[in-house]
Amino acid sequence: MKARNVLRVARWETTRSAGDIDRETAVAFVVVLLALAAIVPALVTMGPTPGEGIYRVGVTEDSQYADVVASDPQLVAVDPGADADVVVTDTTITYDDTAKGRAALSTLRSATVGYNDFLMRQEPDQNAAFPVVVSLTYRPQSIDVTGTQTGDDATDDDDDLDGSEGGAGAGTGGDDGQQAGGDGGGDGVAGGDDIPATGGGLSGLLGQAQSGTPSSISPPFPLQSLVFAFAFLLPLNIVIQAYGSSVLAERINRRGEPMLVAPISRGDIVAGKTLPYLLGALALISAIAAATGASALAVLAVAPLAALFLAATFFGAMLARSYKELTFVTVTVSVALTAYAFVPAVFAEVHPIAAISPLTVVVDSITGDGVTAGQFVLSTVPPGLAAFVLFGLGTGVYREEDMFTQLPIPSKLLDALAAPLTTRWRAGLWTALFLPFVFVAELFAVAVLFVAPVSISIPLLLGTVAVIEEVAKSIHVFAGFERGQYDRTFRNALVVGAASGVGFFLAEKLLLVTQLVGLPELDVAQAAFSPELLGASPGLLLVAPLALHVVTAAVSAVGAARSRLAYLGTLALAIVLHVAYNLAVVVVSLG
Amino acid sequence: MGSRLVLARRTLGSLRSEKTIVLALVIQLFIAGFSSFLVVGLVSLYDPGSTESGALDVEVGVTGNASAEVATAIAGDDGRSAVPYGSQSAASAAFQRGEVQALVHATQQPSGRILVEATAPEGSFRTTLVVTELKDALSTLEREQRATFSHRLERQPIALPPEEQSNPYFSFTYTVLLPLLAFLPAFISGSVMADSLAEEAERGTLELLRVAPLSLRDVVDGKAIALVGLAPAQVALWLALLSYNGTAIANPVAVLALVAGVAAVLVAGGAALALRIGARREAQLLYSFVALGAFGAASLLPQSPQNLVARLAVDSPTTFTWLTLAATLALAAAAYAGLRWLAGGGET
Repeated sequence: MKARNVLRVARWETTRSAGDIDRETAVAFVVVLLALAAIVPALVTMGPTPGEGIYRVGVTEDSQYADVVASDPQLVAVDPGADADVVVTDTTITYDDTAKGRAALSTLRSATVGYNDFLMRQEPDQNAAFPVVVSLTYRPQSIDVTGTQTGDDATDDDDDLDGSEGGAGAGTGGDDGQQAGGDGGGDGVAGGDDIPATGGGLSGLLGQAQSGTPSSISPPFPLQSLVFAFAFLLPLNIVIQAYGSSVLAERINRRGEPMLVAPISRGDIVAGKTLPYLLGALALISAIAAATGASALAVLAVAPLAALFLAATFFGAMLARSYKELTFVTVTVSVALTAYAFVPAVFAEVHPIAAISPLTVVVDSITGDGVTAGQFVLSTVPPGLAAFVLFGLGTGVYREEDMFTQLPIPSKLLDALAAPLTTRWRAGLWTALFLPFVFVAELFAVAVLFVAPVSISIPLLLGTVAVIEEVAKSIHVFAGFERGQYDRTFRNALVVGAASGVGFFLAEKLLLVTQLVGLPELDVAQAAFSPELLGASPGLLLVAPLALHVVTAAVSAVGAARSRLAYLGTLALAIVLHVAYNLAVVVVSLG
Repeated sequence: MGSRLVLARRTLGSLRSEKTIVLALVIQLFIAGFSSFLVVGLVSLYDPGSTESGALDVEVGVTGNASAEVATAIAGDDGRSAVPYGSQSAASAAFQRGEVQALVHATQQPSGRILVEATAPEGSFRTTLVVTELKDALSTLEREQRATFSHRLERQPIALPPEEQSNPYFSFTYTVLLPLLAFLPAFISGSVMADSLAEEAERGTLELLRVAPLSLRDVVDGKAIALVGLAPAQVALWLALLSYNGTAIANPVAVLALVAGVAAVLVAGGAALALRIGARREAQLLYSFVALGAFGAASLLPQSPQNLVARLAVDSPTTFTWLTLAATLALAAAAYAGLRWLAGGGET
């Protein structure tokens, strides 16, 4: 790969994109973007309520509740005689005994609470109007969610305890000041200088100390990462849409042919075509990080995920038959990757499992919590490696015979998997390269399953892990036999299978990175990543998994060498063997 | 008309053979399932009553000279109990051992105001629940204290309506989930229309179709019939599923008509962009921006499309709702007529 060639292709991609757009389209883009820029502030100020007027309250105009109904957009006042969900009379409140009637009543109740606060703010005697003032602080408890108590945690707690007590004292001082001022709204209290100003208006939702009247207290929003997932990942969709179109356009009407015959390598072409979009994605992420107050570390953490978005889109665009198919490939990529980033990050600040997601680094950098090197590695290396491998697979089919033919996605996929298998030992190399995907898939399974009771989650997880690993060890071997890269002989099957098993075993040592963040303390994670015989001799610890991977990979390879049906059969057998081995290990190490 | 139907069938056929329609349904289901999962999770965190397990009991350690009042307020609900302690340090130690999940130190000032220093566990699954319970208890305390000080107030707070068990997801289902399921298919239809025409233009097969005894207008008609029809069909499926799950949908026909109208507008927009630009990347990008902007602008209307779906389905439509629906259908007809005019090369 030559930097000069890459840059030339990148420049060509950029200028061609700009040159392709006629003036009319360019003007349309500018107009639409300006209109969007005008709509966003309007939306923010107007704050549209999709639930406007869905509950009808029968109330007379002179009733006190008429003002309450007017204060909540979901409620709408109708004549007491008309069809209504809740009817307020001078003496009673009646409601329809339906789901809608009860929902309307509870909305009316919370609207009344808000309206009372509004009334009380106009009182001259604020001490009587707001007779309770709260300052809320958070302090760690020594019991953690897994129920284990470790020495490290205990010492941490002591340090934090002192700190937060100091904070509480300062908070009280703030309250006194507020009393003297007589401003009862509660807004003035939060500005005490003991409260870290990071996060701005988000600080209450992010679980930081706050104070005010009881109704001004907001419980920490446990799904804060939802906000960040949308802020950081949605703009990437625009980039991958443009990128996917550009890649697929090369495959239409043999447009990519001149570039293929140019004296530059395929890698140069792909790198050059990708570079402008990667830079664009990074620029977008940096802009969002600057806007949300995240640090440069957050940009570094999201960058591999952005690369994975592009890599998956590139690979999808190499397989898709038409733009319609590409649209769905793009949506699938973005939904799957958003889920991967989002689900573990739900538990940010709560649980070590959150370290899987790069968004956790973003959340931590905004709240000011430190990120350990281990967390950073765990959240960035697997997606980064996976992106690298997908680009490799896609580049393998960036050639004339694959680019300009129309085949269903599964058979294109087999082409792509078989293309790099030029020698038998390469099967092992590619098994090793698939490990990031195995890792990503298993981490995701852990993140989804860890809330379930251990009796359910561990067997499910053992099964999932076996399926993921066995497929990863054999799918490309099957492709190699199907596409004639290997002769269909028994001996070949054994050799290729063994190579694949050894490759997997060696690469699996990468999983040691989980040790860095203490994931193994989790029962579920232990089952997934280190089902090893505790107390067995070190020799056995090394030999047993090696033997397992070689045997199961060889079993499925034997089937792959015969036919598709035989492959499915032997794959199932390999999975059963794998589950049996894992179960045996878990039972032995627990018992 | 026959040739247009043939084209419509072929458009649907290609969606079927490329399995895109299956994928589209799966993606919609995933997005809806995911957002519901989130809300169910969220609500159970905020609203302990909704998860009828009853296992979540928040114990609060209470200290200070106003602890009697606070303890009464805390004990006023099933989900919480108060544990009095003699000193703050004893309470703090109990908190450290995990015997209580929250601490409240309440001191009454000479002015009558109660200052509360509340402590909640940091970074735990139960933090949100604990804070929600604390907030609820302290709001009760606030109401009781206001009642005691009523002689000092010029206005009196309004009595609260009775508390009744209600489905916390009710509003979400009608105002978020249902509009999402209604407009996602319409958005996808417009996107596929842009893809389909841009691809024909890029591959040069649009020229071939013109050689056939079909005008460009017929081609556009055929594709549009298929894609505009597909959106309400998918939404009908979602409505049936929701009703089966016990979510009553009022005015289903009106909801489907609205979806068909929005789909027609989006499909016409996607087709117009693809015909005008002729390149997929630009057309698709512009389509996404325009569709986003249109939804954003429409939500500034007195009754936004999202609000229309909610009002119709929950059975609270007003006359204005029906007028807006009629206006949407008129807009759809106008947009489609505009598209046909464009496809006909500007002639009528």
